[in-house]
Amino acid sequence: MKELELLKKDWKAKESGFPKLNREALYALIWKRSSSIVKWLYYISIAEFVFWTALSILTRSTEQEEIIESMRLSTFITVLTVVNYSVLVYFIVLFYKNYKLVSYQSSVKELIQSILKVKKTVSQYVWFNLSMLGVATLGGLIGSILYGPESETILEMAHQRENPFIFWGIIGLVVLVVIALAIGLLLLFYRLLYGILLKKLKHNYKELIKLED
Amino acid sequence: MNKDLEHKFLIAFEAHQNIVHKICTLYAKDRDSHHDLFQEISIQLWKAYPKFRGDSKFSTWMYRVAINTAITQYRKEKKRIDVHDIDHVLFKTSTYEAYDREEEEQLILMYAAIKSLNDIDKALIFLFLEDKNYEEISETLGITEVNARVKMNRIKKKLKKILKP
Repeated sequence: MKELELLKKDWKAKESGFPKLNREALYALIWKRSSSIVKWLYYISIAEFVFWTALSILTRSTEQEEIIESMRLSTFITVLTVVNYSVLVYFIVLFYKNYKLVSYQSSVKELIQSILKVKKTVSQYVWFNLSMLGVATLGGLIGSILYGPESETILEMAHQRENPFIFWGIIGLVVLVVIALAIGLLLLFYRLLYGILLKKLKHNYKELIKLED
Repeated sequence: MNKDLEHKFLIAFEAHQNIVHKICTLYAKDRDSHHDLFQEISIQLWKAYPKFRGDSKFSTWMYRVAINTAITQYRKEKKRIDVHDIDHVLFKTSTYEAYDREEEEQLILMYAAIKSLNDIDKALIFLFLEDKNYEEISETLGITEVNARVKMNRIKKKLKKILKP
């Protein structure tokens, strides 16, 4: 087949056209993978920030504000919001810094350290969000029990009991279960959102460790 | 990997890296995936090197690891939607200046034709283009020499059919 011979000739001529790779370039090839994962962590943290902010703005209503006011939670909510947003902005900056750090790393050792840093940031971020949710739920529940529309009935019921401690004990337990459920749901959400990326990062980390050996 | 071994690998890899590029030309569908595949094969070679015993030539071993990686990646990719970028086939088209018009057309058709082959056939044609004899082809791909001959004849027929339907 003469076409095949022609092809063979051309195939050999291609030889000189390819870029050359040295050791540094090989390292670069491997760490680029980490950099793209860390980049996604950064993007997702921003997307998440935008999502929750948009949700809270869109669902805001005067009715809701009146309820918060009646439960005497306005100051609590304001303080919580300010703390929450400032820490979230801090985390986004951290994610960005991590991304830059991984992108400019040239040695495998440094890269391994950066990946550990990224993992630490993500877990701190998740724990911060979970505790914020816990505090907010606790505040909301206490507010609604003491000052909410049903609070008089609840207080009346506690008053009627011979031993109000047991009654409040049960209420406390219910509050804990509700908080645990809320945190559990958010944790599940984070596992899905960041779990996949962290798993890939971990895999890459293991490969880098092997490379170092 | 210890420093000595690492050094040995890098010297050999540097000398034979064109092999990887050529495999990528056949298996990758565009420039981006060429780069990705090159990266993947480099990592696999690096990981596999400590197990390389030196009982075959470095290049033969490299062909084997690289082809296996390419085939594995190709099968993963195939599950996604497949859009072939024909321009990529003509990687470094400048070489065509050396041919007359008819030859140039033939080459374009041939590259498109071998790109359309399945993953195993691509590996065979690749080794054929690399001027490997049937003994080396059978060793690299882990098939018998007879099987390699039969397969190669089938591929030639397939290619003829594609070129002159």
